[in-house]
Amino acid sequence: MDAIVGQPLDRVDGRLKVTGGARYAAEFPVPGVVHAVLVQSSVAAGEIVAIDTSAAEGMPGVLAVITPENAEKLQADKGGEQVVSRPTLQDMQVLYNGQHVAIVVADTLDRAQAAASALKLTYKQDEAVTTMDSALNTAYRPKHFRGGARSPDSNRGDADAAFDAAAVKVDATYRTPIEHHNPMEPHATIARWDGDRVTVWTATQGISGAQHTLATLFGIPPANVRVICPYVGGGFGCKGSTWPPATLTAMAARKVGRPVKLSLTRRQMFTSNGYRPRTVQKVKLAADAGGKLVAIRHDGMSQMSMPSLGEFAEPVGLATEMLYSCPNVAVTHRLVGVNAPLPTYMRAPGEASGVFALESAMDELAVALRIDPVELRLRNYADGDEHEDKPFSLKNLRECYRQGAEAFGWSQRNPAPRSMRDGRVLIGWGMATSTYPANRRPAEALVRLQADGSVVAGSGTQDLGTGTYTVMTQVIADELGVSPRRVRFVLGDSTLPPAPGSGGSTTVASVSPAVQAACAAARQKLFSLILADPQAAGLTSADLRLANGVVLAPARRFPLSQVLARAGLEYIEGRGKTEGPPGGHSLHSFGAQFAEVRVDPDLGEIRVSRYVGAFDAGRILNAKTGRSQLIGGITYGIGMALLEETATDAETGRYVNADLAEYLVPVHPDVPLIRTIFVAGEDPVLDPLGARGIGELPMVGVAPAIANAVYHATGVRVRDLPIRIEDVLG
Amino acid sequence: MYDFTYQKPSSIADAVKLLAEPEAKALAGGQTFIPVLKQRLNKPSTLVDLAGLGLAGIKAEGDKITIGAMTTHGAIAASPEIKKAIPGLSMMAGWIGDTQVRHCGTMGGSLANNDPSACYPAAVLALNATIVTDKRRIGADEYFQGMFTTALATDELITSIEFALPVEKSAYEKFRNPASRYAMVGVFVAKSAAGVRVAVTGASQNGVFRHTEMEQALSGNWSPDAIAHIKTPPGGLNSDIHGSAEYRAHLITVMAKRAVAAAS
Repeated sequence: MDAIVGQPLDRVDGRLKVTGGARYAAEFPVPGVVHAVLVQSSVAAGEIVAIDTSAAEGMPGVLAVITPENAEKLQADKGGEQVVSRPTLQDMQVLYNGQHVAIVVADTLDRAQAAASALKLTYKQDEAVTTMDSALNTAYRPKHFRGGARSPDSNRGDADAAFDAAAVKVDATYRTPIEHHNPMEPHATIARWDGDRVTVWTATQGISGAQHTLATLFGIPPANVRVICPYVGGGFGCKGSTWPPATLTAMAARKVGRPVKLSLTRRQMFTSNGYRPRTVQKVKLAADAGGKLVAIRHDGMSQMSMPSLGEFAEPVGLATEMLYSCPNVAVTHRLVGVNAPLPTYMRAPGEASGVFALESAMDELAVALRIDPVELRLRNYADGDEHEDKPFSLKNLRECYRQGAEAFGWSQRNPAPRSMRDGRVLIGWGMATSTYPANRRPAEALVRLQADGSVVAGSGTQDLGTGTYTVMTQVIADELGVSPRRVRFVLGDSTLPPAPGSGGSTTVASVSPAVQAACAAARQKLFSLILADPQAAGLTSADLRLANGVVLAPARRFPLSQVLARAGLEYIEGRGKTEGPPGGHSLHSFGAQFAEVRVDPDLGEIRVSRYVGAFDAGRILNAKTGRSQLIGGITYGIGMALLEETATDAETGRYVNADLAEYLVPVHPDVPLIRTIFVAGEDPVLDPLGARGIGELPMVGVAPAIANAVYHATGVRVRDLPIRIEDVLG
Repeated sequence: MYDFTYQKPSSIADAVKLLAEPEAKALAGGQTFIPVLKQRLNKPSTLVDLAGLGLAGIKAEGDKITIGAMTTHGAIAASPEIKKAIPGLSMMAGWIGDTQVRHCGTMGGSLANNDPSACYPAAVLALNATIVTDKRRIGADEYFQGMFTTALATDELITSIEFALPVEKSAYEKFRNPASRYAMVGVFVAKSAAGVRVAVTGASQNGVFRHTEMEQALSGNWSPDAIAHIKTPPGGLNSDIHGSAEYRAHLITVMAKRAVAAAS
């Protein structure tokens, strides 16, 4: 039988989604639910000196007005993974504009909104630092970089001395803006208490993390918290941590003794669950006359909130440490605290911003050296990871460059800026390298073989819209010789065996091995039952094969229904538990991004008109959902390059474009036909299927490929994202 | 939305009487006003719906085209008479908002609101149209008095807009805000009995304005080259997250050149 894994199987949850049958967090019909509305600070720094709740409390239908004055005391979450470490509503201090300062509960949403607007807060306002660029001189070293696992700085060789002595140099500063994730589904939570047990329906990328965080905050055992999240309408990182809205919903539900629902507005999505922080990155590259890199220095600063809210450092320099072969490399990471919400992971955290700087600088170096940009990268190809001093588990980046360049027609490029035109319109071709770590973490799964030959399986993982339901169904179909139609894979419930949060492209490589192991355990149990049967005399498990609900052996067959009936079982259950990745190798995915832009020389309007991305991401479990991920990631990168930026009002520290009319995201006319290529290759070091996650990889390198194309079209080097039309007018 | 009383009068006299009440507001196509109400940016006592007054319709006579105030953008764009006599106006109407907006929004509503980024003010000013109300006739130069400000009294209703014919040349070009489709800068150029007139919308903090330097240049030589050198000072132009005043100044020349080329 041909493998089901790899085939472009339609999403198994597709029909439910297009018919409205897939239930998202805010849509669960919980009897007796009442509604909560958040109140947020209107100043960026200071202290609440008075809260007048009298008007709000007297309004019809109001059940509770919870403020720092009467909020339940929470335990600080010191647990590792969560970025958010400061419990909410515990004191009167205001650290950013939009900070949650109260939650109001009423029997209807309208009444809760009316009461929330009747709350009167008086502040003692302090001087606020609202923009990163005004505070660069206060930059400080992160205290818990990568969870404390390593230093924020790294050095090999002597980058500064090598730079000073080199023949050809680039020394430039690149800037990326605050961006917000803006998933289609705003964050929502419903919480219901039953004694000291709580059930939470919440939009999250990590049910396990939410379970543990809420347990810690409310001082109850994790087993008393059940988190349910079968569908997520996009996360991109903003649903990766348990943010104050989820905590406050649980607090409110406990207070009013009824289930409470809280759904964020689009505007609140800009202040309540993180963002990609602004970065200012200084990059120095030096090469010998032959184009061999002799020094790389990447000093990255990223914007932070005030430090007491937690810590998130955008790891912009990690790719710089390993992407090219170079004897002298120095990387630093610093933070600049301002009165802003806590930033967080956003699709390809670190790499998206950092590779923009590095790959723009590489293009500038190619121009200085008069070497083709692809050729420059090949001359500096890293065969092993020189930072970790380890071999790569699999690296097919050369093939990405070759196949991408060929599909794009790169050999026809005239290197001179402004040399390629279509009538008056300027044409530019640019490229960049992509890379993202291949991550894997411990995970568990269970599988039940049922008498009718169907399979029910589950793991406490998530499907962010990426296809977890579908690819795990495919894995099971192959392992147990069953049609995907007879497999039901469940996820998104913390009563299932635990799995890691879905972030950092970890889900496929973490959960598929656990599912495989559970299938193997179930199969082994089944075979043991059969071998114990006198009818199986003379057979060993090597003779047995499970297909379509029947175990086949030479000249004999054992229908599952009969085996289970004889054993008096309803089903056979297998459990799988797998660990993180093996050491010894550096685990990364790679890609090559090629963009064509058309620039109207009168207006400065920039259109991406053609796009090719070639990726080395191990074995692809589903050709269709995999391709969708690539298209989605590249589209996200087009937004980063040309459109997305959250603007802060320096006076008030408030975001001025906190809606989808003024925070521009790419729409259909902004996105050309995208050609995607998966370069063949499997990575059996990472996991038995040889597969890697691909959520982040395709967006890394898109912004520099477009910026480099804009330079080629116009001769204008833009180092500050997004590229604006004003930037390229002569 | 706050609570209000809804009225749908069937005569202009009744409508005007209702509008004389404090905080009464007229509702035309509602494409601006209903979102404003939804966001609670306005708290009218009474909403006077103008849909029952029979003010929609396009009438082409020998020397003028009369457009009823409640005529939708869609009807204007689809009118063969307007397309033939004033192609620039036809083009403009077909380019406003999206399909839904064009089938509800009205010319009278747009002109009464006088949004500084709306399209019609540029056509009305460049074509020197006449705003006809229940009380009087107002010339275009007198009608527009700054951002969201017009010569209309609070209880005065636009009934129609008259465009004198013939119009020798007309065209409109706009650079659209990608989300709202409003004009970041829109330029209407026209050559008619009123002479050469160039009206710019979207750019100025004071709403639509005539670009007299371009009018003079085009009067002598109707060609894009005649205005290519003209630079508009950015002082007084809008500057926001969608574009700086300098960029809008640049757009005026580019849009004007393209409009002249389209009308040649």
